This record gives sequence, structure tokens and C-alpha cells, in this order.
Amino acid sequence: MSAATTDPAGVNGPAGPAPVVIHRQRFRGLRESLGRFSTRTDGLVGLGILLVFAVLAIAPALFVGPLETVVTATGGVLEPPSMAHVFGTDEMGRDMLNLTVHGARISMIIGLLATVITVAVGALVGIVAGYSGGRLDNALMRVTDFFLVLPTFVLAIILAPILLDIIGPEAELFGIRATLLVIVLVIGLTSWATTARVIRSQVLSIKERMFVDRARVIGSGSGRIMRVHILPNVVNLIIAQAVLTFAFAVFVETTLAFIGLGDPFAPSWGQVLNAAQSAGAPGLGAWWYIVPPAACVVLVVLAFTLLGNALDDILNPKSGSRR
Amino acid sequence: MSELDIRSNRKWPMPKQAVPGAPLLEVEDLSVRFAMRNGSVKAVDGVSFRLNDGEALGIAGESGCGKTTTALSLVRLLPANGRIRSGSVKLFGIDLVPKTEKQLARYRWREISMVFQGAMNALNPVQRVGDQIAEPIEVRLGASRAASQKRAAELLDLVGIPKQRAMAYPHQLSGGMRQRAMIAMALACDPAIVIGDEPTTALDVMVQAQILQLLEQLRRDLGLSLILITHDLSVIAETCDRVMVMYAGRVAEEGPARRVFTAPRHPYTRKLLLAFPNIHADRRTLDVIPGQPPDLRNPPPGCRFAPRCAEAMDVCREVVPPEVRFADGVRVACHLFPVSDAVAGEVPA
Repeated sequence: MSAATTDPAGVNGPAGPAPVVIHRQRFRGLRESLGRFSTRTDGLVGLGILLVFAVLAIAPALFVGPLETVVTATGGVLEPPSMAHVFGTDEMGRDMLNLTVHGARISMIIGLLATVITVAVGALVGIVAGYSGGRLDNALMRVTDFFLVLPTFVLAIILAPILLDIIGPEAELFGIRATLLVIVLVIGLTSWATTARVIRSQVLSIKERMFVDRARVIGSGSGRIMRVHILPNVVNLIIAQAVLTFAFAVFVETTLAFIGLGDPFAPSWGQVLNAAQSAGAPGLGAWWYIVPPAACVVLVVLAFTLLGNALDDILNPKSGSRR
Repeated sequence: MSELDIRSNRKWPMPKQAVPGAPLLEVEDLSVRFAMRNGSVKAVDGVSFRLNDGEALGIAGESGCGKTTTALSLVRLLPANGRIRSGSVKLFGIDLVPKTEKQLARYRWREISMVFQGAMNALNPVQRVGDQIAEPIEVRLGASRAASQKRAAELLDLVGIPKQRAMAYPHQLSGGMRQRAMIAMALACDPAIVIGDEPTTALDVMVQAQILQLLEQLRRDLGLSLILITHDLSVIAETCDRVMVMYAGRVAEEGPARRVFTAPRHPYTRKLLLAFPNIHADRRTLDVIPGQPPDLRNPPPGCRFAPRCAEAMDVCREVVPPEVRFADGVRVACHLFPVSDAVAGEVPA
């Protein structure tokens, strides 16, 4: 602590206990957490990878120019990596680096949005159901069960055309094409139930702990108890679920695109893989068509896992030694 | 401090409905039942006692005799299947039993607060201790965050924890410090009564002594009244003015601690004291009380201690013994002491 720097030349006298300023201590707690994070190599690596992909996703054109189309393609058919095209080209002569970098935006947006929806809905339903118990719990869990058994792909195949018909394929929301929103919605709809179940089961055990009773006698309302006492105790579960969901969402998006339910105008990594498959890239030995998008999927999922692990350790005051 | 001083020194005005001159706490004929699948358990059956301002009452008895249930029912913190069936709990003459949850909330923590059994479980493991102590101040008294934090730091100081430790998480504190933090939390809203539910269990003897000393000191300084629930008679002997010995949901004997410990009347109290090591007596082995407490779903019809009592008579197995009050302030529920004795005021040596 920098007690000496805040008290130049010992104006307040050297003796006596330092005055306690709770607010400064509060920030000290935050600084402490950040300090702990900076010692976690895995967390930093994960954060680094995600930052790189985030920058690519935010401004892909800055690095590789606008998205190439058949018209603006610059290379020959299925060229292997060369100085001109570091990742080679696809069957229409488009630069693979260009496609992969532009794919980051779609895949990351879908992954993040789906994760936020899933974890928010899942945590809310899980905590409320688990804490309230009784009829509300029963009702919420029956709904959850319904969504738990919904098959993702069947739902996607049915929902995608219906929703597209309703909102129109050209509609945009915050600059995201409707097709992508449908994919996000489908992933969110089918995966929040697992999160809700997992969190509810943990809440069931936490709400029996005495500190919840204590909070109730003290006078905290249900809302406060859920927010202040239950939620922080399931944060590690939420983070774990978020990491899993993000990986799952990227995979589902990839798969949906692969079976042709993606948005052909939005080159996600799955879309590129789909194109590679239909172009017969594996048979032709065009590995450069498959490896870049696939490696990106793996890297992003790995980065999320690393970051999630590190955050879990830091946010859980019990794990690891402090100081 | 005398009673009047304590009431005039209160931080908060007396509750509006308070009856002037009424005792601090008067529990009359309290009965609590637990609904079970196979019948109901009469966990507390006709318990009466009284607590004066600044007084410390110890409730003793073996596990399952209803001491915790009695205390929890004062603030109605019973498990979901527990119900107060009859009786009254009068705080300043205000009966709390017919109050709704919402009406009761006004008295919880501000008038009656608790130090829970097992501090580790009663503290949220992922919340800083200071925040937890500040919680009742924020929620109950509507103080601002900064003000309640400041008060929490003062409270920590009061119970002998350095203020800086407000930033610690429960697992970073020792068992004794956690218990001190729980006491600080109980004092947060300047209550009139603090209930200590086995506050020193699971602490080593040195820490136990420190905690008891702290409670004693706080009681003197703040004019608190204490209800101490414990199965450790030495704790009561050390800290309490009065003691209430419970057996199977009923009061066996109640009176000034000094009288009850030196001249126990009820056979159960006598047995209980004999089962306790005494450094003055030359005894190698401790007495045990044979048998087990009765099944409270189906208690024996007369005196509940009769099946285990060496002095049981025929009448004990059929008639519930009435409470007999003696001149020295002790009341006993035992057929060995007929009602006529009480009037005579006979005081055994």
C-alpha cells in the first residue's frame, strides 16, 4: 500500500493507525482482483486471443479490405497459400484471409448474443424458480423441461423460414441481418433450459444455508436476497455455463450454416466451411480452405475457456491464496 | 444500569403500541408444533418465562428439548412446517404472535436480534464481512451505503476486530472472529434483546471465554438483554442471571442461576448437574441419565421425564406436574414439590 505517498513527509504524524476509508478499500479490492488476474497467464492468453478477434470483428475492412465477392475476387481458383494470398483462395478465387477475417464478425456476434440470451434467461429462471419454490418453481420448470427437449436443429429448420417470412429476410436490427437473429434466437431458445436447470439445482442447496435465513430475518426482501446472496454464489456456475454456451453457439451456428440454414450473404466461419464442403475442398486436398475458419473456431472457444477459468478463480474469493 | 436507565437510553423510541410498565419480554404458555408426515411434534409445550431489561437468561437442556425452537419462535423464524399453536410472546406488552409477517418485521433485528449457531454457515461466503454487517443497517434502518459501512466499521471495532478486516471474506477470519462478526451484526440496529443460539459451540475454550466475556461486557455497556441457548451449563453459570432448564418441550425448572445451580430441585436438573464435571467434588466418573428423551410425536401423558426419573411415582406417569413457585424465585414442575410447599415458601439449603 502506498501510505507513504498519500502522506508526504508524514504531515499527519507517523504514529497512530491509518485512517480507514472504506471507499478507497473498495477500489483496493478491485485492484487486488486485477492484480491477481495479471498473474494468470492462461487468463491473459485467453483475453489476448479474444481481443485480437474482437478487433478483427469490429473493423475487418481495416485489415483486409472490403469483403470480396465473385465479382471482386482477386485470385485464381483454389490457389494454395502464396505471398499474394497468405491463406490461399477458394473455388471462386476469393482470398481466404479476407473471408476468414470477415467471418469473425458474424461468428463472434452470434456467439456473444446467444450466450448473453442463454445465460441471462437461464440464470433468471434458475434463481427465481430455485429460490421461490412451490408453484412458481413447478410452472417454470415445466416450461424449462419443454425447452430442454426441443431439438435445436429441427426447431431451427422450422423457425428459420417462418420468422424470416414474418420479419422479412432483408430486415436488420442494430445492423444485424434477420437471418442471423433467427439463428441467435434458436440457439438461445434451445440452450437456456440447461443453464436454468443447472443453476436452479445449485440455488436449491444455497437457499437452505443459514445465511439466507439470516438475511430474511434481517429484513432483506426476496429480490435483495436473490441479488445479493444467491447470485454471487452461483457466479462461477454462470461463467462456466457462458463458456460452454459460447462454444456451443459457435458450433451450432457453424452446423446450421453447414446444412444450409445460414445466411449466404454473411460469411461466418460455418458458412465458409459449408462452402468448402460443397466445393469438394477435402477431396481436392485444398486444406487451406478448411483450416483457417476451423482453426478460428477452435481458437475462440479455447480463449473463452481460458478466460472463463481464470475469471472463475478470481471471482471466487475462496479459491486460490490471496496475497 | 437500572431498567429505567436502559429504556431511557434507547437509541430508538419505544414501539408505539408498547404498554407502559410492561416487562421487556413475557412469554406465556407458548406451544409450537411441527407438522410431520406421521403426526405432529409438540416441540414446545406450554413454555412461559420472562426477561427483564438488562437481564441474561440461559436456556439449558439436551438436544431436541425445544430450546432453539422456543427462541426461534420469538422472532418466528421457524422452519416451514413449524407453527405457534397457542400462547403469547409479549414484547413491551405487545403480543407478537398474532402479528403478520410484515408487522413483525418492525421488531425483528431492531428489538430482537440473533447470534446464529455456527458463524461460518450464517455468513455469506462470497460477501465481505463488512458488507454483511452493514446489511441490516441498510435494509432495516434505510441508512445510506456509506453511513452503514461506517457504522459496520464501528461495530467491528466494538467487538474487537480491527476495522480493516471489514474487507475480509468470512473464510479469511478465524472462528472466534467470525463469531465476533456475527455479534457485531446482531448489534447493528441497537436491539433490546439478543438471542445467542449456541454462540460458543465449536470454538475452543480460550475463544469461548473471550466471546462470553465480550457478550457480558456488551450487555453491561449497552444495556442489552440476553437469551443464551446452550447445552453447556458452565456457560450459563458464568454469564446468566437466570436459568431455564427445559426437558422435552417443557420447562422443568426456572429461576436465578445461583439458586438453581446450588440447590437444584427438579430431578432432571439434579441429574444434569451431576452429569457435569465438578472440580470441587472428587468424582472419577460422571453420572449419566439412562434412557432417551421421549418421542415428541407421542409424549408420555404425565411428567415427560417420568420414564427416566429415579424418583418417579405413580402420579408422575399420569398427571402433568403443575409449576410450583418458591420464595427464592425458582419455579419447578415436579410432583415431588406439591403446590402447598410453594405457599409455605420452603427453601432447601
